[in-house]
Amino acid sequence: MSTAEVKGDEKQTKRLEQSNPDYDPNIVIEAQNLSKVYRDFWGRQKVRALKALDLEVRKGEVFGLLGPNGSGKSTTIKLLLGLLFPTGGRALVFGKDATEVTKNEKIGYLPEESYLYRFLTAEETLDFYGRLFDMPVKVRKERAKELIEKVGLTWAKRRQLREYSKGMVRRIGLAQALINDPDLILLDEPTSGLDPLGTREMKDMIVELKEQGKTVVMCSHLLADVQDVCDRIAILYQGELKELGRVDSLLKVSEETQVRFKNVPESAFDEIRDVIKKHGGDVLSMENPKTTLEELFLTIVRESKGVLAIGQNEPPIKCSR
Amino acid sequence: MTNIDGLNDQFMNFSQWLPGAIGIFLALVLALSLIGVFFGFLVATYRHGPGEGFYIVAQTIGQSIPDFFGTSPRRVMAIARLAVKESIRRRVVMVTFGVFALALLFGGWFMNSGTDHPDRVYVNFVSFGTQMLILLMGVLVASFSLPDDIKNKTIYTVVTKPVRATEIVIGRVVGFMLIGTTLLAIMGLLSYLFVIRGLAHTHQVVGETQSVLSLNDIDPATRLNQLGRRVSASAVKEGMTTFDDGHRHPIELIEDIRDPDSLPFNPENVVSKEVLPDGRIRYLRLIVEEVSGHTHNVKIDGQGDDARFTLSNSKGYFKARVPMYAQDLIFYDSTGAEKEGGINIGKEAQVRGYIDGGSYANRNTLSNAQFVFENFDAARFDNAEDLVLELTLGVFRSTKGDIQRRVLASMQFESIPDNPEIDSKFVSDKIIFETEEYRVQIRSIPRKQSGQLIDRDGNAKTGTFDLFDDFAANGKVKLIIRCEDQNQFLGMSRSDVYFRQSERSYGWNFFKAFVGIWAQMLIVVSIAVALSTFLSAPVTIVGTVVLIVIGFNSQFIRNMMEPENSGGGPIESFYRIVTQKNMEIDLEASVATTLLEQTDILLVKMLTSLTYIAPDFSSLNFSQLLSLGYSIRVDNIFVALLIALGFFVGFSVLGYFSLKTREIAK
Repeated sequence: MSTAEVKGDEKQTKRLEQSNPDYDPNIVIEAQNLSKVYRDFWGRQKVRALKALDLEVRKGEVFGLLGPNGSGKSTTIKLLLGLLFPTGGRALVFGKDATEVTKNEKIGYLPEESYLYRFLTAEETLDFYGRLFDMPVKVRKERAKELIEKVGLTWAKRRQLREYSKGMVRRIGLAQALINDPDLILLDEPTSGLDPLGTREMKDMIVELKEQGKTVVMCSHLLADVQDVCDRIAILYQGELKELGRVDSLLKVSEETQVRFKNVPESAFDEIRDVIKKHGGDVLSMENPKTTLEELFLTIVRESKGVLAIGQNEPPIKCSR
Repeated sequence: MTNIDGLNDQFMNFSQWLPGAIGIFLALVLALSLIGVFFGFLVATYRHGPGEGFYIVAQTIGQSIPDFFGTSPRRVMAIARLAVKESIRRRVVMVTFGVFALALLFGGWFMNSGTDHPDRVYVNFVSFGTQMLILLMGVLVASFSLPDDIKNKTIYTVVTKPVRATEIVIGRVVGFMLIGTTLLAIMGLLSYLFVIRGLAHTHQVVGETQSVLSLNDIDPATRLNQLGRRVSASAVKEGMTTFDDGHRHPIELIEDIRDPDSLPFNPENVVSKEVLPDGRIRYLRLIVEEVSGHTHNVKIDGQGDDARFTLSNSKGYFKARVPMYAQDLIFYDSTGAEKEGGINIGKEAQVRGYIDGGSYANRNTLSNAQFVFENFDAARFDNAEDLVLELTLGVFRSTKGDIQRRVLASMQFESIPDNPEIDSKFVSDKIIFETEEYRVQIRSIPRKQSGQLIDRDGNAKTGTFDLFDDFAANGKVKLIIRCEDQNQFLGMSRSDVYFRQSERSYGWNFFKAFVGIWAQMLIVVSIAVALSTFLSAPVTIVGTVVLIVIGFNSQFIRNMMEPENSGGGPIESFYRIVTQKNMEIDLEASVATTLLEQTDILLVKMLTSLTYIAPDFSSLNFSQLLSLGYSIRVDNIFVALLIALGFFVGFSVLGYFSLKTREIAK
């Protein structure tokens, strides 16, 4: 971020602090008693999608909204983006009402499916969204080039999106969400429709964004994905907040202890059991751990890709974990 | 009938029109804003209660101000570029252009060049075709774009950027207008070439030699040509051109004896020139008669009987006349009293006022029509020495009259002294002529007019006087038209009699006519984009088309709904149909009848006011002026552009509030 941009942000923060005394710059998202009722044309209640949600998302964290289908995750995201109007309560983003357009300056949004213009090429897509941020030509072009490289679509940047596979569209969707180098990124089912490789890349990207100090809010019903990347989660069920807290503390099983070691012969196992018994504990299991199917798959693909990528235009897969 | 219906707006001045138009616009904006706020408050109250409803309305209005003023041209252009790409890549433009190209390629086959005015057929074909295609394309692209974005949810990725609703609406209108303007420019250019090339033709003279030898002698007994028409008095030979493009022209070799100091002729038309013993010059000139609104120049190589004729390309089709209309038209009845609107001879009197030619009982009628011209200055005419007066006079006959000739009329110029009691008055001699009865007749009016100068004591001095320097020394002159046939009536309106000031470029006129289509396109696109913010694509199309149809026929619809019409308003008419009552018979006076009539009046008022929401496309349609060969006034273009701008602003505001207050997601 340039010095001018930092100064601009400081000014805006001051302005917000003056207009809203409760404004805390460390709180990026605030839902106060937020509720949403879907109605039909005549105003009759159809579904109560969200019931009095109170929530805060802090700066720099990866926050997950978890829940089964129809639990109100997407509704919450849409309310935060101003795509829906709340029936009750308030949704504040960067201290501003969610319906205010100016808040979008610092937001990136990846919808559940990448709703992009299929008649545009990847380059044109990013150029279009860059223009919507009033970005100067030079910055726009550089940023688009950088993002296309980042999502590994340089080889297909001049093809219309209608020729893209679902995974490719998802990647360019992510690129458009990042075109403005946002401070807050909202991801609606970010791994939906992606293959294991794409899923892994998406998760890597989320972690990378966190490392850059961005705030990420994602909603998903794929628990493993959320567990992998989120710092805090909120679990919704039928529009109600059921659980809220840090992932590590929520998942911690306090009464059990897991010890992993290697290069220990099986003859030593009985001694270990004895030591545990001596201290009044119970051994629940003692076995060789299994790798995950995801890890196995990625190893195979990585190795195959590493061989095939030599001399090809397609970028090799990047797996940082 | 060659008169232009609705040409009366030709008299309108931009500066006169503007204040009234701004007033109506502001009043409309105010009224619609109040209605919008009230309606918004009702909906918000129904959904959230009065307190919250009031807050929502206030918040929406509050947010609209920064939205209007913070609209970014760069973002507008980004949306516009997207709209352009969308139109191109969805092949809408290609299809529209393809249909147009096909129409041009094969349209010529079905146009009969042998009609009275093939130029009008060609111009009407291209202007109507272009207008319909452009408007249709505008409706389609604008109606589908936003609903498709909402349906496909692509709008999610746009509205979650710092894009204001104003930018989405205006950007789309600008984008579709960019594509439409480009297409219209191409279609306009092709149309122009199609008309010019389609009507270009030449003929040969019937006969083997293409010379005087191909012409026939005239039978002195009948003096008829081969078509059985009487040749002109000075014709010495006659002939005919070949039949091309659905017509042929009679040709006459006419004898023209002139003084040596008379004005020179077009040398191309002179076949031979001979000096007579008395010193005068005898010219033999070849004249190609005008047929279907055009004629041909003749190029003559050689002299006398060996001279060979070559007819040039058609000439006279493409006119852009600048008329000078009278500032006022005053009718006087048979007693000499001023009579507003002239004599009423029936329905036709709605268009034209009539004067009578006297009757057997009252032979000395004083009935006349006076056209008062102001700013009658020689500098305003291309050729002030020889003015061109064009008249289209209607005739109402109460007897068959003289079968050998048409109804006679006369014209006379008279000065309008600033102080009639002191100043002398110029009165020209009467010029009596046969009317053409509903057809344009063109008369040459020399600048020098023989007449009388009558002083305040009634003493008259005859002489030749200058139309500008004497008659119109104060810039004002009146043209008096009288009917010279007893028991017949002559009808005219202000637009029927005018001087042809000058001739403008036809290409420029063509361009102006297409500017009118452009203005219509802007209105249609604005309406469709605004409606598409809250309606689905099919409903938007239907809504826009309904508004277009009302716009093209607003006057007709208003007239049709008048309860004063035979049969009454809609309810009364329905009642008469059901009860099989004759529409001329009055209904029995009763409470039910009064109720029925009053309901009709209320209904008609509501429906009539609805027609004003639709744009009056007739004021933006200049194709009739173009096809009739009148120069389209720049004032009218400004008016059309401002009307279009007004609709654009109005519907953009509607689109903004509709988009702003709706939930984009479901």
